[in-house]
Amino acid sequence: MDVDFLSSTFFRLMAALPLTLALWALAVFFGGLLALGITFLRTRKDAVLPRIAKAYVFVFRGTPLLVQLYLIYYGLGSVKWIQQSYLWPFLREPFYCAVLALSMNTAAYASEIFRGSLAAVPYGQVEAGIACGMSRFTAFRRIIFPIALRQALPAYSTEIILMTKATALASLVTLFEVTGVAQKIKNDSYRALEVYLVAGLIYLVLNFIIARGIAALEYYLSPHLRSTPRAYRIPDPSEVL
Amino acid sequence: MTTALNVKDIRKTFGSNEVLKGISLTANQGDVISILGSSGSGKSTFLRCINLLETPDSGEVTVSGETILMRKRSNGLSEPADIKQVERIRASLGMVFQSFNLWSHLTILENLIEAPVHVQKRNRAEVILEAEALLERVGIADKRNFYPSHLSGGQQQRAAIARALCMRPKVMLFDEPTSALDPELVGEVLRVMRSLAEEGRTMLVVTHEMAFARDVSSRVMFLHKGLVDCEGPPSELFSNPKSDRFRQFISGH
Repeated sequence: MDVDFLSSTFFRLMAALPLTLALWALAVFFGGLLALGITFLRTRKDAVLPRIAKAYVFVFRGTPLLVQLYLIYYGLGSVKWIQQSYLWPFLREPFYCAVLALSMNTAAYASEIFRGSLAAVPYGQVEAGIACGMSRFTAFRRIIFPIALRQALPAYSTEIILMTKATALASLVTLFEVTGVAQKIKNDSYRALEVYLVAGLIYLVLNFIIARGIAALEYYLSPHLRSTPRAYRIPDPSEVL
Repeated sequence: MTTALNVKDIRKTFGSNEVLKGISLTANQGDVISILGSSGSGKSTFLRCINLLETPDSGEVTVSGETILMRKRSNGLSEPADIKQVERIRASLGMVFQSFNLWSHLTILENLIEAPVHVQKRNRAEVILEAEALLERVGIADKRNFYPSHLSGGQQQRAAIARALCMRPKVMLFDEPTSALDPELVGEVLRVMRSLAEEGRTMLVVTHEMAFARDVSSRVMFLHKGLVDCEGPPSELFSNPKSDRFRQFISGH
């Protein structure tokens, strides 16, 4: 085993990790916001708005992320008026294109998760809020949202983890994030096995940390699902010593 | 005696099913009115029309002299004219549900102080003191930091009653408060309700508990097919039923 090669590969890949993390964090953030907006449209009592949301989900869930990424980076870049528009400084940058594609893609999935968790809020608890004189907004803020958030977390955490892996596709639009750098090292050294093993390990550790973080959040938010809190008990001196 | 609640000619139709065909009720301060009836007689719907959880097609609700303003929609049915007023009046009507409906993500104490703090905008520290006294009173002070799922049905319903009381309501509305409970848990909830009646609270109780209706309430109202079949003080009504329907109903219990 070539320890020198492995360690130099590891450090080169780690140097690309900030870019992977930036893609991931921005996509999760903007994708989450967009998803909230789509969920909002989807749950309106209106003839048009829910259909727009449905169409969005249909398109972005029904096509490969890579195709979406190519369409945004290569496709939009070939359109004349976009090259002349004020969006061009962003759309000519592969980084922003990747963030845009990842965000729009994850928003479609996340909005479906949010919609399900909203629909699953027990109506009796909402009604109890209304009966106490809560306005619709207060009932949403104090009852519906906190319950829906807790219900969304398990499924949404999976989506967040999927996003770290989806950032690897950004290597195909010239970005040198972890997978992009791995590709380059492999091309230079022809040692695919070692390079991709190290890259895979980095993603694995990254997702382990993210998963633990979300699990901790879930635990913190769901004391009502744990067993009965123990009554305060004065510890026996033998336990303390 | 002052009128705590006055309900006039409530009508409600679901689809083609006319559930309430004009029901009126007047509750004076301190009245405990039991509303009886077989399932489908409209008693729960009537109760839910009072705080507008269901919007009545027509009719009028007055709480402590303030009438809920309604307006006609284009289809002839009424709707609240001022939602802010409805919210304010709802806050003065404490509602207890059949299935408790405690907020699952909040502790028992948090359940109690939620609406007083976030709806009535009262001082949090003061509300907490009041809430603790109420929990003491319904016998679950030791459960203040528990979550609803940690409590038995009877404890949850007592917490729900305390939650309603914490709003300092003018009238308490009970929608079959013991129907979801095991028989051995019914007693502890009824005891709390009886003590509320004894301290002179105005209460409307939709119930199947004949003993409660007979012994605790000041008036009994028997609904049948969306109409008041008969009503009166329980002593009269139970010993000398005015209608065959009611006689049949109580003999079945």
